Amino acid sequence: MINPHPGLPELEYVKPATLVEASQFLAEHNGTAKPFSGGTDCFVRLRDGVLKVDYLVDIKGLDGTKELSFDPKKGLTIGAAVPMNKVATNKDVIAHYPNLAMAANSVASYQLRNRATIVGNICNASPAGDTIGTCMALDGVLNVHGTDGFRQIPLNSFFLGPGRTVLKPGDVVISITLPVPPAGMVGVYKKLGRNTIGDLSIVGVAVLGYPNSKSPSGYTFRIALASVAPVPFEALKAEALLSEKKITEETIAQAADIAMESVTPIDDVRGSARYRKLMVRNLTREAITEVWNQLSK
Amino acid sequence: MANAKSKEKPSSPIGASLQRNDVYEKVTGSAIYVDDLQFGNKLLYAHVLRSPHPHALIKSIDTSKAEKLPGVKVVVTGKDFPERMGLYLKDKTIFALDRVRFIGEPVAAVAAVSEEIAMKACDLIEVEYEVLEAVFDAEYGASEKAPLIHPQLGEYYCPNYLFPKPGTNISNHFKIRRGNCEAAWKECAYIVERTFHIPHIQHVPIETHGAIAMMDEKGKMTIWASSQSPFAQRNIIAQALHITQTDLRVIAPLVGGGFGSKAGVTMEAIPAALATKCKGWPVKLMLTREEEFFTNFVRQGLTTHVKVGCDKDGNILALKNVMYWDAGASTEYGANVVRAAGYSSSGPYDIPNIETDSICVYTNHPIGGAYRGFGMSELHTGIDQAIDELAEKAGFDKVTFLKKNAISEGDIIVTGMKMHAMGIQECIDNVAKSIEFSKKEEPTSPDRVRGKGIAIMWKAPATSPNPGSSAWVELAEDGKVTVGLGGQELGQGTFTVMAQMAAAALGVKYEDVRIAGPVDTQYSPYEWQTVASRLTWSMGNAVRAAAADARRQILDVVAEAWKENPEDLDIVNGVVVSYKSEKETPLANLVIYGLPRENNGGWIGGPIVGRGSFMPQYITNLDLETGQGPRAVVHYTVGCEGLDIEIDKNTGKIHVIKAAASFDVGKAINPELVKGQIEGGFVQGLSSALFEEIRLRNGVMTNPSFVDYRIATAPDVNFPLDVPFVEVPQDDGPWGARGVGEHPMVPTIAALGNAIYNATGIRLDGPPYSAEKVYLAMYDAGLTK
Repeated sequence: MINPHPGLPELEYVKPATLVEASQFLAEHNGTAKPFSGGTDCFVRLRDGVLKVDYLVDIKGLDGTKELSFDPKKGLTIGAAVPMNKVATNKDVIAHYPNLAMAANSVASYQLRNRATIVGNICNASPAGDTIGTCMALDGVLNVHGTDGFRQIPLNSFFLGPGRTVLKPGDVVISITLPVPPAGMVGVYKKLGRNTIGDLSIVGVAVLGYPNSKSPSGYTFRIALASVAPVPFEALKAEALLSEKKITEETIAQAADIAMESVTPIDDVRGSARYRKLMVRNLTREAITEVWNQLSK
Repeated sequence: MANAKSKEKPSSPIGASLQRNDVYEKVTGSAIYVDDLQFGNKLLYAHVLRSPHPHALIKSIDTSKAEKLPGVKVVVTGKDFPERMGLYLKDKTIFALDRVRFIGEPVAAVAAVSEEIAMKACDLIEVEYEVLEAVFDAEYGASEKAPLIHPQLGEYYCPNYLFPKPGTNISNHFKIRRGNCEAAWKECAYIVERTFHIPHIQHVPIETHGAIAMMDEKGKMTIWASSQSPFAQRNIIAQALHITQTDLRVIAPLVGGGFGSKAGVTMEAIPAALATKCKGWPVKLMLTREEEFFTNFVRQGLTTHVKVGCDKDGNILALKNVMYWDAGASTEYGANVVRAAGYSSSGPYDIPNIETDSICVYTNHPIGGAYRGFGMSELHTGIDQAIDELAEKAGFDKVTFLKKNAISEGDIIVTGMKMHAMGIQECIDNVAKSIEFSKKEEPTSPDRVRGKGIAIMWKAPATSPNPGSSAWVELAEDGKVTVGLGGQELGQGTFTVMAQMAAAALGVKYEDVRIAGPVDTQYSPYEWQTVASRLTWSMGNAVRAAAADARRQILDVVAEAWKENPEDLDIVNGVVVSYKSEKETPLANLVIYGLPRENNGGWIGGPIVGRGSFMPQYITNLDLETGQGPRAVVHYTVGCEGLDIEIDKNTGKIHVIKAAASFDVGKAINPELVKGQIEGGFVQGLSSALFEEIRLRNGVMTNPSFVDYRIATAPDVNFPLDVPFVEVPQDDGPWGARGVGEHPMVPTIAALGNAIYNATGIRLDGPPYSAEKVYLAMYDAGLTK
């Protein structure tokens, strides 16, 4: 039965002044409190009754959450409270991580992106998260504050299942750091939605590549896929092939086939498993080809 | 003597793209919609307890716990309001009585001092159900095997132009038997047979339904509603509540999107029912988006079997349509959609032998109601695609085939009526030229295939046989004009067009005409409903008559005062002028106070009030067995659409390169508004062709939100759309105008289906033509890897 009268439940809004206070509160209210930033996901889920909490803990304003800075050695740091539109229009992002700007611009609508954040997108751990794949391929590391203080979690060991991560009670993700991209990196994000804007991904494909003299093929490729597995998925076997074999149209097609074989999508209202698998192959092929065309120029 | 004012060359407001008279309020946000109305701290909030089952008997309802909850004023159930109601077939009640027939059907309602309490009270109502076997397929539902959804169908009130079959789930079986199809098939050199499925879709007005009702101590009720049909609601709700129409007042502020969903009566009766039990307290109900999706009107689903044949020279000889409509739990309104699709089932083609069975079937799905196009999009999705294939099979260029077989003035049409003058040939030419239909073009990328499609359409206003309109025109001391009318401004611009017509008929400037709004059944003149693309034509005739009546009264006064013949007088830009004596006088003051007689002889005239009404008096019923009769409809609006598309071979995504839509509007009273209607209708048609579908699984709508019910937005329609219109005047329309509100979305699915076929050779069995559906069809056909 569909709930005909969804509505926001009564809940308390908590705005801690310090990270320590935030972690402490969240730890003390494990299961009944949730950190939030833009709220674009959690308010909808609260209204629909999918998410049930007593406290929403606003992390905007905590130390480091508003940071958006690029350091030529350390890379890019994006605070948990930085909206996607700010990321996508930042000149350092456009200069050094254009694929991240592309992925961010594919999320929902412009209006939503004034609130939605990349860290929020990651923490929701939706298999459909559009910015996650690119952050994974860029070897992103999350900066987390918990009851034991600060620690870092690499993104590729962050997800456990749909909506589930390795975060522990009391953890607040302050920011994500993306290391300086490898020299000569080219990256794209391909999103397939039902209509042009505002949709969730049926399939999302993030691909980046760069010259690497240690690879037999002379290049390294990274391929991350959205909406086709329980967690955002890196197609390691396809990446390996592209590192080992000379890059040709045939190799690219093979890599795309391998990517397709490696995913286990589901049938849902947005698309069938069969279509999703074929789209993983086609969009991966398109994305690798686009990256390769630029790399081999 | 003559001053400069009356010497200005009067430019006619008819045919001019004048600025909308509601633009300021709408752009600034000051326009008033139903949810903006304030009722103070006595306002009660309504909540509805709805059926969780698609089909079940109600064994018992216990409201005692809900009634005891502090803050609850009233709890009502079906037994309180057993009267059956409906616009055409009276087959529904405000709340389910002994049986629920779809998920979301109202079972009980609560009015309380807050939304939270009302919601909590609904949770306290205990209902015991006995679940019954449900019907989710129209063809099965029409069969003898299916369980009955309305066992009492034979007892329902039914107008004499609908044909229910008691003892079955068929609430209307409309037939056409014209010529002899069986004999004609033998003469056909080419025959095409196809089956199409058109899914349920929803209107998705941005403003959901909302209504507030209050009954005073003496039993007089007022309803404020977002409504296309304040007068129809007055009539239907008054009967359901056993009060007189005069004691029910409906006030209808501006409407934030209707598309047919706010015609007739849906949720408005719920707060009205509650209000009868708490006199003096206003009761408000606004639907959530979820309720809008699955508890209100939808466009019913259709499975249609089409067979069409032509001779070797390409003359279409015979057409057979068997249409099973999945009309939902009530067909009070939808039964007439089925009839409309039946009596127009030839489309705008001249076909001598026609056999149609248009069958309205009760199912345990949401209730089908009026939806922009009223059955015509669904009908044309079938016939225009079958005829597209027939043209190819017979070896004809599509444009030649359409022009050869299109209806002409004087032809006897499907129901036996003689066709009036209209410009379908010109519409076809316009579209073919605009998208260069006969020119084969290469795709812009090797990853794409390209194709062009074209389809023609017709539609008549689908109504009861005698829907009336009326209007009044009065003037103030300043000589400016106010027009009273009962048709509703839904965004289509009808208030603007009516002001233009009144200005032209009276002889004043457009800027000097106001519309008396909001529509209020206590003060506004009667209008049947704002539906069927009928206002420009029907209400236009009434407004024109009212303005002409006022003009006649004014000229009579002035003629008498000046001792002249009214024939020599005119009203130009708000000034009465005599072409004989060259005298002139402004309308100001004289329209209230009249004019003095000479030599202190008293006064002539008085306040001017013009009145006009219009009702088509020439519609006749059709024969039950053959669907034949002298005149089934007032007239048809015809048109043509075409698309030039590319399909991405890697994803199946459709990209429109260019599109064209040409309709014969009779006379474009305001060309810019006509263009807006055609563009908007085309976009809605394209949206239904590409994206829209209510996904029903065992009676449950699985996508009741904008997350998963996708509609086209601006970036989806980022292509040139050419809308050249044709103007062959309509004999019974004001200044020759006929309606075009619904028509632009009628042929779009068929035109796109034909373009897909042209690009791929694949004929899909129905919309939406999603990327997935198109890709997998191409993949399975070996057209893409």
